[in-house]
Amino acid sequence: MAQETLSFCCGAAFPKVAASPSLARCCPMYQYTDFDRHFVRQRAAQYRDQLERHLRGELGTDEFRALRLQNGWYIQRHAPMLRVAVPYGELSARQLRQLANIARTYDRQPDGPFAGQGGYGHFTTRQNLQYNWIPLVDSATVMELLADVDMHGIQTSGNCIRNITSDAFAGIAPDEIVDPRPYAEILRQWSTLHPEFAHLPRKFKIAISGALEDRAAIGWHDIGLQLKRDDAGHIGFQVFVGGGMGRTPIPGIEISPFVAWDHILVFIEAVVRVYNLAGRRDNLYKARIKILVKAEGQKFVDAVNEEYRRILADDPAGHEQLIPQAELDRVKASFVDPAGVQAEPAVTLDDSDPAFARWLARNVHGHRLSGYRAVTLSLKRVGIAPGDTSADVMDTAAALAERFSHGELRVSHRQNLVLPWVREADLAELFQAARAAGFATPNAGLLTDQIACPGGDFCALANARSLPLAAEIAERYQDVDELVDLGEIDLHISGCINSCGHHHSGHIGILGVDKDGAEWYQLTLGGSDGSTLSGTTTPGKVIGPSFAADEIADAIEAVLDTYQRDRLSGERFIDAVKRLGLDPFKTAANAVRVSTAKAPA
Amino acid sequence: MKFINATTCPWKHAIGEDGPKPDPDPAPHKLLSLEQWHAVKGRWPTTTPVAIEFPNDADITQLVPDLDRIALVVLDFPKWTDGRAYSQAHLLRTRYKFAGAIRARGEVLVDMMQLLARTGFDEVVLRGDQSKAAAEKALAFFSDEGFYQGDVAETRPWFLRSRSAA
Repeated sequence: MAQETLSFCCGAAFPKVAASPSLARCCPMYQYTDFDRHFVRQRAAQYRDQLERHLRGELGTDEFRALRLQNGWYIQRHAPMLRVAVPYGELSARQLRQLANIARTYDRQPDGPFAGQGGYGHFTTRQNLQYNWIPLVDSATVMELLADVDMHGIQTSGNCIRNITSDAFAGIAPDEIVDPRPYAEILRQWSTLHPEFAHLPRKFKIAISGALEDRAAIGWHDIGLQLKRDDAGHIGFQVFVGGGMGRTPIPGIEISPFVAWDHILVFIEAVVRVYNLAGRRDNLYKARIKILVKAEGQKFVDAVNEEYRRILADDPAGHEQLIPQAELDRVKASFVDPAGVQAEPAVTLDDSDPAFARWLARNVHGHRLSGYRAVTLSLKRVGIAPGDTSADVMDTAAALAERFSHGELRVSHRQNLVLPWVREADLAELFQAARAAGFATPNAGLLTDQIACPGGDFCALANARSLPLAAEIAERYQDVDELVDLGEIDLHISGCINSCGHHHSGHIGILGVDKDGAEWYQLTLGGSDGSTLSGTTTPGKVIGPSFAADEIADAIEAVLDTYQRDRLSGERFIDAVKRLGLDPFKTAANAVRVSTAKAPA
Repeated sequence: MKFINATTCPWKHAIGEDGPKPDPDPAPHKLLSLEQWHAVKGRWPTTTPVAIEFPNDADITQLVPDLDRIALVVLDFPKWTDGRAYSQAHLLRTRYKFAGAIRARGEVLVDMMQLLARTGFDEVVLRGDQSKAAAEKALAFFSDEGFYQGDVAETRPWFLRSRSAA
């Protein structure tokens, strides 16, 4: 068959049928070109060469480390961990089935103390998927399987520009100003294997929001981009820089109120170059750009603006880095609505079934198209770690996406899946199917829709386990009416100060700390991800000394009881914390101390 | 990419019996530290090109007034994961149009080859245990279609190259 008659979707070639345009595309995501596809295959081949040199003893452990990291391979507590990029959270059903296939076939411990473990993936807060049990010898094969569906692990770890994240509702949100996905894709391509910025002082994370509501926590990123239209209707970015969590949580500062969209790669080049040259490399904990921004203040801002000016004024090829309109148009063409999707009359739903009504209220979200909704498939189940998804569950989610959402899914910051293209007329049917498959826990945005990192059960960095605590909260708060009564609460749990569970931005944040080899938990209140509900981006404040492992769940419960006792009518948890201050919560939490009551830690 | 053997390379450090000379006499093929260059550049003949070893934590723009007297800039990788010299080389080549040689020394490994070539290096002194054959193989990956973003070797990003080819 001649090449021209083939179209591609997520790595699959299929005949292009001129008479049936709907067959010309499979899902409304970025469609890889031959160049893109060749590129990820070259990367997989390069990785196989590196792995084989390592296994032959020609490439030392330390040197292989930085190479595998930039392909997503960490060495974890029990086995290597692979982090697969899901760029800006967009995933096709076909890709998810391949991820399930990898989980089923390769995420396995065949022997040793953990024999039989595996068979699942863990969706992260940065819209990636992690496997915990793939043997390193299989890693090159897995990279090739990912390349088969236009996926990779490029720059999902290491001190480089990481996967670009965005709003899980990008392109469909009713409050969207500009669809961020084409810009996110252009940034993904620009940052991929950038030769000058492959070995920065520390990791570098970029997030983009295109909506009124920031659902991408851009204030907590090294660079946060907010799409805007100026008074003349021109599109550009408000740029924040220097946000980050870790042991020094700092919200980003605005470095430019408006950079024209076609100049954004040049502006980011200026930021990253100044950081690469001036960022600290003497101390791992002071190497993030936030430390440089904080230390230098206006001097940093001036240096970036001067570098930006000089690239355009003095570099012979400076203007070649501006994004041409034709390139934006080319990328945008991948993000048109799926064939057949158009606004239709809103449907009046029969919500006499209270379970359906609750699900509609919590897990079904607005859509810019009348007659359509976005639906959260909850990955928060009692007994399962937040974000953990077995191979079978992945396949089921893929089937739901094919049946109800034109084969497309999103991975959300809150570690759930979202179906972006659900007809209102199909909601009742989807509810039944999602409930049967265990995806319909009506808790999106509520206490048990908690964020948690894999913690000390898996991660070599963690001080404490996060999953048993998440499980205990999920078990204690199973009553849906109580959850609804507690209302919208962001509970974020990190197993260590690296803050992968984003404890700093939780209304309730839990941080695992190690003291004398025991697990302890620090409790913070009042953190914000920068959304309207949570308020200005800010880290939470610590309540007293750390709690022992057997006290922390009681302490959280005491905080929630205090809220229910002292709240004003209709007042949400985060607002009550702001109004009342920490003291009443602290008093209540201290009252449940047992071991730490005698000898405060 | 030229693979340099430091012992047979004609560029030699200006070393006396007690270590590096603070102010070496002008001579051809001298490889000077930045401190030495600052000490002697006022009296160094403009007709005798020099090579300069430049540290990776200094501001590369201080070399700009002297670039037409410099045949070779040697940039440093104290650790291979310390990527400052990539930005220094990029600036020398693009903004300051340096036409001499740029050499990488220090912990220079096979898997850095593409980053070096793409940011303007044209010479390397590989760490002793590194294989030249493996380095040449590493350079070949992606060589047919290239990369997304522009670099020193090919300034046009893929989005410009793909259009001009069409």
